[in-house]
Amino acid sequence: MSLAHRRPLWQFCPAHCIQLFLHFVGVLVLLDLHTHSIKSDDGRAKVENYCQWIRSKNLPIDGFVLTEHRQFDDESDYSALAEKFDLCILKASEVETEYGHVLVYGVTPGLQAEFDFGSISLSLARVIEASNAHGAIAVPCHPGRPRVGMFAHTDELGVPEGVEIVEIYNGGSRDQEDQIAIDNASQLGYRGIGGSDSHIVSHVGRCATRFDVEIKSIDDLVSALKAGQFEAVNLKSGN
Amino acid sequence: MAIATIQEVVFGEDLPTFEPDTSLAITKQFAALVGWGGARFSDHEAARKEGLAGAMVPGILNQGYLVAMIHHWAPDAEIKAIDTVFRAPVIADEKHTISGVVTVVNEEDGQVEIDLTVSNEKGETRVFGTATVQLPLA
Repeated sequence: MSLAHRRPLWQFCPAHCIQLFLHFVGVLVLLDLHTHSIKSDDGRAKVENYCQWIRSKNLPIDGFVLTEHRQFDDESDYSALAEKFDLCILKASEVETEYGHVLVYGVTPGLQAEFDFGSISLSLARVIEASNAHGAIAVPCHPGRPRVGMFAHTDELGVPEGVEIVEIYNGGSRDQEDQIAIDNASQLGYRGIGGSDSHIVSHVGRCATRFDVEIKSIDDLVSALKAGQFEAVNLKSGN
Repeated sequence: MAIATIQEVVFGEDLPTFEPDTSLAITKQFAALVGWGGARFSDHEAARKEGLAGAMVPGILNQGYLVAMIHHWAPDAEIKAIDTVFRAPVIADEKHTISGVVTVVNEEDGQVEIDLTVSNEKGETRVFGTATVQLPLA
């Protein structure tokens, strides 16, 4: 557990105390940026159950982003759940490119018209270009994973242009996948986010991203990501 | 303590963890019984030649272990549905742990939903899924 506020108060240095203060006054926000619900073909979690789980288990996250596979979920409205559980619930997408899977935050109708979200062979360059043109941001996820991670393809395809952020902590990572992501991100100057990649209720909140600005909407999230005002957090037990 | 009725179930409670027998001998025997011949279930070296990390435990045997774990917890439970997503092979002769946690409790109809995870010794999720389980009302 790497979250500062899980440690006894007397162990905090002044910087941690400031972080604690900011968290309690609502400026530090911790979001799980990569989750799936039953809207995804391999998702088994209902959004309401995520909310119940987070609150009943006192997870330290303030909300989560639903990144459904190969689609943007236009129809679901989670605002009532967000209000009931006092959680930030946002919607994004996870699309598939020749460099592996990519999270897209800030999906708009205009962006959806630019490419087929359901395709399993999108061009990463096209996804990044279209995302930037429509005020969204594309973030390759689990990049250290064989086959579906970006760094599995850079030897063959080269380092792609336009990537600024990658997911460095993924709750479903195996072996050295996160370390590969961290090492390559560091080498290439990418910033890192964290997300659980949860598909079942009890896996939510294993990894997250901490922001030092308020996030209440997808526009807030995209702005904070573009501004680099965040830090990946690994909340898996033993960390 | 075994669960007898829905009233005894608490939201968020962990089921007792279960260590399945993933020995190659069992894996090989099971694969032969169900007609799944092939080296990938019976021979580590041959499985490695197929690109695997070793011989695998068949998926339906893993599902059987998941069911067994639920019945250890609640012997009178009726498993209405069990749904698994295989993320990575469960390698024979490696220690694995099955964990379960109750994520939905419906006291009116006696049904609970359980998250299921098969993890290896490094804590990596190999299989996850959910089960819908009917328990006696009283």
